[in-house]
Amino acid sequence: MSKKKAEGTNLLYQLIGEARNYDDVIVMGRGDPDFDTPAHIVAAAKQAMIQHHDDFTPPEGLLALRQAIADRVKRVNNIDVDPATEVVVTNGGQEALFLMVLAVLSPGDEMIVPEPNYNTYADSLAFAGGVKVEVQTYAENDFRADPADVRAAISDKSRALLLVSPNNPAASVISPGDMKTLLDIAVEHDLMILADDIYDLFVYDDFEHLSPAALPGGKERTLTLNALSKAYSMTGWRLGWIVGPADLMARVTELKAAISGGTSVISQRAGIAALTGPQDAVEMMAAAYRRRRRLVLDALDAMGMKYGLPQGGQFVFADISFTGMDSGEVAQRILSEQHVLAYPGSAFSKDRKDYLRMTFLQPEEQLIEGLERMKVAMQNIRAGR
Amino acid sequence: MASQTKADILAGHKANEALNTQLLPQVARQSSDLSADGMRRLLDERIIAVSSEALEAGQTHYVDVPGIAPLRAAIAEYLESTAGASYEASNIIVTAGVQESRFLTIQMIGADFESIAVPSVVHPGVRKALGVRERNVVLLAADAKRGYLPSIDAIAGALEEGCRLLYLESPSRLSGGAYTEDDVSAISRLLNEYEAMAIWDQGLAPWVDGKYSSLASFEESPALVTSIGEAFPGMGLASWYIGYIAAPEAQIPPMQSQKQVMAICTSTAAQYAALEASAIVAEAHQRQLAHLSRLRSDLIALARAVNLEVVAGAAANVLALRASQDTIAKLNQAGFEVADGALFGAPGFIRLTVSAAADAALQALR
Repeated sequence: MSKKKAEGTNLLYQLIGEARNYDDVIVMGRGDPDFDTPAHIVAAAKQAMIQHHDDFTPPEGLLALRQAIADRVKRVNNIDVDPATEVVVTNGGQEALFLMVLAVLSPGDEMIVPEPNYNTYADSLAFAGGVKVEVQTYAENDFRADPADVRAAISDKSRALLLVSPNNPAASVISPGDMKTLLDIAVEHDLMILADDIYDLFVYDDFEHLSPAALPGGKERTLTLNALSKAYSMTGWRLGWIVGPADLMARVTELKAAISGGTSVISQRAGIAALTGPQDAVEMMAAAYRRRRRLVLDALDAMGMKYGLPQGGQFVFADISFTGMDSGEVAQRILSEQHVLAYPGSAFSKDRKDYLRMTFLQPEEQLIEGLERMKVAMQNIRAGR
Repeated sequence: MASQTKADILAGHKANEALNTQLLPQVARQSSDLSADGMRRLLDERIIAVSSEALEAGQTHYVDVPGIAPLRAAIAEYLESTAGASYEASNIIVTAGVQESRFLTIQMIGADFESIAVPSVVHPGVRKALGVRERNVVLLAADAKRGYLPSIDAIAGALEEGCRLLYLESPSRLSGGAYTEDDVSAISRLLNEYEAMAIWDQGLAPWVDGKYSSLASFEESPALVTSIGEAFPGMGLASWYIGYIAAPEAQIPPMQSQKQVMAICTSTAAQYAALEASAIVAEAHQRQLAHLSRLRSDLIALARAVNLEVVAGAAANVLALRASQDTIAKLNQAGFEVADGALFGAPGFIRLTVSAAADAALQALR
């Protein structure tokens, strides 16, 4: 019996499932940092279990956490929000993403999406009944979303523009100049902006992250998400947020209540500790990712593989067109033969069948071993073995 | 410059009454708050120990979308012991609370059906979940005389009219009233006769003092019933938001995919806490149930003494009463908050969380 070919998110989960069969697997796929959550955050959670385990929390989250989030987005992103009415705490960045899409898009509405992009946006848009209008970006331009292409994609059904910067999976960062132009386009065509800032602390070299909501005229039409998962290595805690103008956030709050009611009070207390406590661990992890990024890029250069320069984020999107194979097949082969899990580009965009996304979220010795194995796999493919 | 796009979004939102339904607090905001769905409880030290040990050991990363395997197995076992329903771990999805369970079942199972039949009096979270994406809703008449449980005739009528998906609460989230074994048997037969499916909220089942009949436990219906509820209620985890969906195998993939899309997984701290709760729930539960049953009996006597009509119910943790606006105002003046039945679709009634404070509230009406 032929097995139905998995696509998109299902393809990723199929590969994750297979990876579990290998004791020596090196996971360079999932965006889950190898570091454990810093100890002071775990300690705060333990204290919360003793003191706050059955505290009431409204759907939008504890005010103390919303205040900490408001302070953080002011400090890091230069976005001014009122913690009472302009912040909603979510079950991770994923729920934030889902809520943002539902808050803005209705059936038939179009969202302009620079591609490639995080696969869950397409899934969420499909749930909302919205239509994805793709704007392609290319490795030779380091996956820059050209404002002219965005403008050309606008129709009378356009309602929102998605801006993920740094981008997942392409790792491009929207320059301040382009961000201003994109906001001007959004204002001119009355589009809402969905801004995904989840990798905002991971920007490399001289690249600069700018949140559209920080620009004049940006906040009132922008919902901005972020989460503690990547920066504080808190993927399992499921803690994220959305900030935006009070009128739209009232809708986000009702949607949050409808979807999950609230967010675990223990995760929220841990979140307060993360945002208000010492930040050394964040800096340590960011430094590690900078080193690892260099290591991966050097290895890809040595293999003769092309890629768009990762300007931010925690991964590199590498061109495997030389293999002549679909990225799903390549990912499957690397996994089966070398026990290395990398994500196929086709899972992120149907037009990216010749790319692999590789994370640098592993200890360096594992990363080196993973890259060595990948080199062998690529040599085998090149040699037709 | 004002945004017309935003104005359109907000106008659509304002018109969506179902989505704007007010939810009840998950636990009391203070001791005089009798409106909450869950109870404030001390957290057993063993739960704190296991959950914090898991975190300290590095269980701070993503886990499987449907939940950690031992917790799924523990929930299956719990459902067997509390509701007589036979499930495997693979039939369980751990959710971030019962509202997520409602949302996932209503939206994902509901996507396969043209309409969904819902009691006219039901937890406000149901209306809220229905409001996220337009659904054709058939209302099943439910009144106080039957503890707000739609009659078998009402259910049969909806099926006769072509509706093939039911959403039912037993016990009712307002009254605590539960269907009898005969009723459940009749519903099971109807599901089979019409090849229909049911979402069965049995979250209050552990608080039924006596025999409880779950639709999922009837031989004819396991493949047609998806059960939902809170995981291990009464163990101090209400604010941790942890619930379950127990579904036939064929129903799991779409809900699991959607869970991935909207949350990836449920908090690991909550899952390890629930796992330990599963190990100790039996020893704590009987004591709690006996205590709540006594309190509820006393409250019923007190309510009658102040001429308040009691709505029949079987769950020991809630008490529904007929109450005028004047009565509600008096309770509020005395500093007590109660759940307004209007939020459930039953204006003129209130729900109290069974507690010592509820006794004080009714005393204030003397």
